[in-house]
Amino acid sequence: MLTVFLFAALLSKAQTTPSAVNQVKAVFLYNFTQFVTWPPDAFPASNSPFVIGVLGNDPFGAYLEKVVEGETVSGRPIAIRRYAHANEIKNCHILFVNKENPREVLKELAGTAVLTVGDQESFTRSGGMIGFYLDKNKIRFHINPKIAKAANITISSKLLRLANVIED
Amino acid sequence: MNSIQAKLMRMILIICGSVLFVACASFFIYEFITYRNISRNELATLGKVTALNSSAILLFDDNEEAEKTLSALKAQQHIVAAALYNDTGKILATYPASLQPNHLPAQLLDSGYSFEGSYIVGYEPVVEKNKRVGTLFLKSDMKAVYNRFTVFSITVIAFFLLVFLLTYLFSRRLQRSVTQPILHLAGVAQQVSDRKDYSVRAEKKSNDEIGILTDALNHMLTQIERQNGEIKALNTTLEEKIVMRTWELQQANHALTEQNEFIQTIIDASVDLIAVLDKDLNYLVLNKQALHFYKFRREDVVGRNFLDVFPTLKDKPIHINLQRALQGELLHMEAYHSQMNDAWFENFFIPLKDKDDQVDRVLIIGHEITGIMKANEKLQQLNTELEKSNRELEQFAYVASHDLQEPLRKIMTFSDLSERNTHNPEIQKRYLQKISSAAERMTALIKAVLNYSRLSNNNNTPLNNVDLNDIVEQIRTDLELTIEEKSAVIETDVLPVVKGIPLQMGQLFLNLFTNSLKFSEEAPHITIRVRPLLPEEVAKNEVLKKDTDYVLIIFSDNGIGFEQKYADRAFSIFQRLHTASKFAGTGIGLALCKKIVESHGGSITVSSEPGKGTSFFITLPYDKKQNPTLTQTHSKETGETFIR
Repeated sequence: MLTVFLFAALLSKAQTTPSAVNQVKAVFLYNFTQFVTWPPDAFPASNSPFVIGVLGNDPFGAYLEKVVEGETVSGRPIAIRRYAHANEIKNCHILFVNKENPREVLKELAGTAVLTVGDQESFTRSGGMIGFYLDKNKIRFHINPKIAKAANITISSKLLRLANVIED
Repeated sequence: MNSIQAKLMRMILIICGSVLFVACASFFIYEFITYRNISRNELATLGKVTALNSSAILLFDDNEEAEKTLSALKAQQHIVAAALYNDTGKILATYPASLQPNHLPAQLLDSGYSFEGSYIVGYEPVVEKNKRVGTLFLKSDMKAVYNRFTVFSITVIAFFLLVFLLTYLFSRRLQRSVTQPILHLAGVAQQVSDRKDYSVRAEKKSNDEIGILTDALNHMLTQIERQNGEIKALNTTLEEKIVMRTWELQQANHALTEQNEFIQTIIDASVDLIAVLDKDLNYLVLNKQALHFYKFRREDVVGRNFLDVFPTLKDKPIHINLQRALQGELLHMEAYHSQMNDAWFENFFIPLKDKDDQVDRVLIIGHEITGIMKANEKLQQLNTELEKSNRELEQFAYVASHDLQEPLRKIMTFSDLSERNTHNPEIQKRYLQKISSAAERMTALIKAVLNYSRLSNNNNTPLNNVDLNDIVEQIRTDLELTIEEKSAVIETDVLPVVKGIPLQMGQLFLNLFTNSLKFSEEAPHITIRVRPLLPEEVAKNEVLKKDTDYVLIIFSDNGIGFEQKYADRAFSIFQRLHTASKFAGTGIGLALCKKIVESHGGSITVSSEPGKGTSFFITLPYDKKQNPTLTQTHSKETGETFIR
């Protein structure tokens, strides 16, 4: 199901909400859960859901829900949360930061076990962990493993192989 | 000579070779299967590793990274094709990058590795966090297997050859310890059998079974040598004995041969015919006399069957007697006439017995008695003649005493009467006339008797050709007066010329004519018919000889005749069928006729009926050539009478 959409998104960019690029990004957001390990204390309770959050303007709309529907991460159900302000963020595991200037938010989140994903070119240099970018009409991503490590988040080498690794 | 070596060698090599072959082959098969599986497992391991590294690539749809990952397969040179599919079946990357689609499977399988022809094909699921995200396809050739196999084969063959060679070398050396003593034994045995030299001994080289065999052989040779010696010694004695016996036998044989020859000489010297036949009537022995008699050669008869030699004698008395003699009967055949040489034999059939007292042969002794038989025959003939003449003489004596006494009595009576009547010369003269006529009659009687007796006593007169026509003609002239007086008619065929005494022939016909003219009351009619006698008629008449031609003369009249029952008496001397008072005669005429005809080798019979006439049938030998005109056609009707 997921790939069908992804496929469709790749074929035609000019789609209804969300755009094909955003659809791919939504899928990628979910796929990251497969190659990233969070510390156990990232979850308040054993049955706490795995939370994917979107900070700021939500480019995915209901599509993101569709992507994660029925899926789990290490047995935990996936919950989608949308935050308007950084202070709303609590018990979030993957956070898509859609802000003009994410530096402040990122500074605030530094040290917490939240995999921060951004859209901007400089996102990983500004303290973000994973940043999407477009290369030859294909969505790729930068990863800053140092920051992830600082947040006690382990990123699989498999994922690192696919990424453009940023070393400060 | 080397056969046992070769056999042993072959045996070892065959065993070793087959063991090696089976070992290598099993190893080979095992290795092949194992290595194939290893190759498959290697491919599977490679697949698993690659698949593990491919999950993120598939999830993040990274073609470049996918190609990079697959290109790492280069390290494995046997991989010929690979492809990475995502969970929708889309190919993310292939190896090599420029892979032709025909190397890719038509249908994706779930998972697993298998052999397809000379390739190993595998489908490895790509899984991340227990989720199937795609499939890795791998295809490897089997060159690795084959290469390894080739190397392995060469090694095995080399190993095989090496082991074989080693086996050969070792066994060559080792088998010697077994074969060498056997060959030695065989050599000794050969030597013994070739040279018959039993003094040879085999050398004992070991204490195993061959050692025992060697001892046994040596022991055997010793035994044979000893026995040989004994046999030789025995042989020598035996030979001496044989020489002795042979000499003795030769002596005995010689004596026997001499005796045999002596017996044979005696048998051959016998004037009797001697033959011995066996149970089946095969000739065993024939003496010289028998061979001479039958004009046989000994080798042509001895061993042959009696009936084979004389087929015509089957079931004849001699054959029957032979068989009877074989039953044990001693037979004496007093007179046997052999048809072969017209000889007579007195035959003896003597059964010969074997040592079990069983008759197994028969001896015939034939004593020739032809001379005796011939003499006997002559004697018998003479005797018959003598008897006959005796009879005649008796008859003659009787008749003479009776018939000659009658005129004598007359003479005595009338001379007595004349004596008493001397006074009457007339009467005396008449009586003297009576005396004279009686004396005349006596003279005639005596003359006739003389004639007859002369005929009986004189057989040596030479025979001449007598033309019976002349004879009859002469008689007709002599009897002319009587014929005229009685007005007799004489009718005659042309008569033959016969061999005979003319005077006697004349007497014969004179008597016949006189008789016919005498015994007739009216004018006599006399016919003479002639024809040759048929051979069957000759055969019927036992007086006549078979090989002679006869002529039949039938002399018939129409006179007073007589009863046929007196026919035999008619030819007896002094027999008169009619009274002297009525017909004058001496009673000698027909007896004389019979005598004449018989002395000429012929026969005479008579056929008569009172009042009708008489026919005389006279047969006489004659020469056909002298009487060419005489044919069978004459007087058939009269011939019938004769035949009857």
